Amino acid sequence: MASSRRDRQNPRFDQAAEQGNERSGPHLKLGTGRAIAHHGEILQGVFENEDGHLLRGLITLPLAAQQSTATYWPNGPGRIRTRPPGRGKAAKAAALTLKHLGFANIGGDLTIESDIPIGHGYGSSTADVVAAIRAVAAGAGVNLRCSTLSKLAVQAEGASDAIAYGEQMVLFAHRQGDIIEHLGGDYPPLQVVGFRSGGARPIDTLNLPRARYDQQQIAQFKALRGLAFRAVKQQDPRLIGYVATASARIGQHHLAKPDLETILNLAKAFDACGVQVSHSGTLMGVIFDPTEPGVVQRSRLLRDQLERSGYEGVITFFVNVDGVFRQ
Amino acid sequence: MTGKGDVPRSFEAPRIVRLERNLYAACFSLMKLLPARYILDRAQAAGRLLPGGSVVETTSGTFGLALAMTTAVRGFELTLVTANSLIDPPLRRRLEQLGASLHVVEDASGSGAQAERLMLLKKVLERRPETYWPQQYDNPDNRWAYGSFAESVCREIGRVDCLVGCVGSGGSLCGTGGLLREMFAELVILAVDTQNSVLFGHPPGPRLLRGLGNSVLPSNLQHELIDDVHWVGVLPAFAAARQLYRQHAVFMGPTSGAAALVAAWYARRQPDATTLVILPDEGHRYQHTLYNDDWLVGIKGWPVDVPREPVTLSRIEAAGEGDWTRLAWARRALATVTAGSCRS
Repeated sequence: MASSRRDRQNPRFDQAAEQGNERSGPHLKLGTGRAIAHHGEILQGVFENEDGHLLRGLITLPLAAQQSTATYWPNGPGRIRTRPPGRGKAAKAAALTLKHLGFANIGGDLTIESDIPIGHGYGSSTADVVAAIRAVAAGAGVNLRCSTLSKLAVQAEGASDAIAYGEQMVLFAHRQGDIIEHLGGDYPPLQVVGFRSGGARPIDTLNLPRARYDQQQIAQFKALRGLAFRAVKQQDPRLIGYVATASARIGQHHLAKPDLETILNLAKAFDACGVQVSHSGTLMGVIFDPTEPGVVQRSRLLRDQLERSGYEGVITFFVNVDGVFRQ
Repeated sequence: MTGKGDVPRSFEAPRIVRLERNLYAACFSLMKLLPARYILDRAQAAGRLLPGGSVVETTSGTFGLALAMTTAVRGFELTLVTANSLIDPPLRRRLEQLGASLHVVEDASGSGAQAERLMLLKKVLERRPETYWPQQYDNPDNRWAYGSFAESVCREIGRVDCLVGCVGSGGSLCGTGGLLREMFAELVILAVDTQNSVLFGHPPGPRLLRGLGNSVLPSNLQHELIDDVHWVGVLPAFAAARQLYRQHAVFMGPTSGAAALVAAWYARRQPDATTLVILPDEGHRYQHTLYNDDWLVGIKGWPVDVPREPVTLSRIEAAGEGDWTRLAWARRALATVTAGSCRS
């Protein structure tokens, strides 16, 4: 069942891989790809797929203000060299993409330029990987579906997030690279005051123990999934706030943010929609409705207060809003 | 566990209808299908219930019917323990046609004979220890079964400000209410009980409104979630069910009438709040009673007008079958409230 659905989602995925060496060097040109960061999650938990199996999944909060840009120069048969050196996952992603597109054993140079901080939960590694895949695809002159891109990203680094989907809000199985549910469209407009909480030490996200959820939490995730769907349908930032806050509270049982209660009280005092966290990092964000009157003033006051309290990495960013990415 | 050969699952989800601008009703064909399926799923997943295994439960009605439907399609053997005061011949025939074995306890007092039913159930378990007992009253899975319902509510309505529902086991109201309040902290939860039910402190006695209230206290009822309790007698419940049918063409059972009565009252008083009421079963089982005027004239006190509002009490007080009473419960424990009330 599962594999037949995957084939349907990605009709070219297996087919192209089977073509093996049929294509060769001349088609490859220089290619550039970009990928955005994220600011943790709106929701993370376990969710039933169509067959009733529970999968770990998440809804990413995109952070378009920070990006990774990858440039791929084809260089005939050989391996992929990265600049800066040691970007092994991005190199692996580039190689997998070449193979997937029928350019097996072709190497090249991959340059990664990124302003995404490493290790706090901004998804720097996934952004490099996705940018590298896009760079190779651009070099080959082909378009890749988001689902194909996500599959390749998971193959390259073991887990991924949904940034390949941009402003489409999806419930994403990050260990499989599969969509659990297309939530129906764009993220609602969001304004987020983000920051790093607690000890700002970098975290190796792949080595965190996996969260175990009880029946109550699994039932809660069903309700939260339903509310996320409604939030997209109504383009309602308030509902996103409820989802994110409840998910952050459940996350306290796994990787606790010591100051969550403080931030929740602040969010309430500034009439925000809610609080989101990176479930495997240190990021937290207070979510506002950018269409509400007075939101500019309220979010600025909150930002001042966070900065005075010594939080690092304080930024204001926007999702699906006319105008700037970031203030 | 899902998919092939699981027809009852398709009947689990309610139709969510809009009765008024700010009032939604979740109309279940047979709400108990949800906990019955979920509890059996969990027992099967845990290896507690093996293929061809047996199930026993004490039940007065709809949970038994839901179990009978689910066990029939899954090939389990079902034994139901009930009382002669609780089961009517048509229901009995339906259960037996689904393959369930019935043990019917004598109940001369009409209070439900819970103690006798439990004793008989224990005997069945002693005789066949591998038999699975779902324990709808105390099994927390009865509450978490309502995750999929809470999901439907969120998908179709979004934020809810007030949830109204009947209490028997406490599973639907406390399961759904607990999940919704985790997202909507200010959610108001109104519990609907009936006269002579011990759930919110009445002394036990004969309950004419079946399927609502209880003569024992289930642990799935979490009193600390409840803002207000309403005791609705059988007469206003019947009248409200008939009105629901006449006004909205929503054909539901008598307990749904009681819940709809309370919900409509709250929605009128709180025009800016979104109220959702859970209506647990359809009217077909009650065509020869509630929907039969010839039968109704034999009910003492009938006909009654649908009351506009409840009598607000300041402490727990028993009342009659024509009454609708209300107490501000304020999310307190049962012992806290009963300590402050002297029973009449």
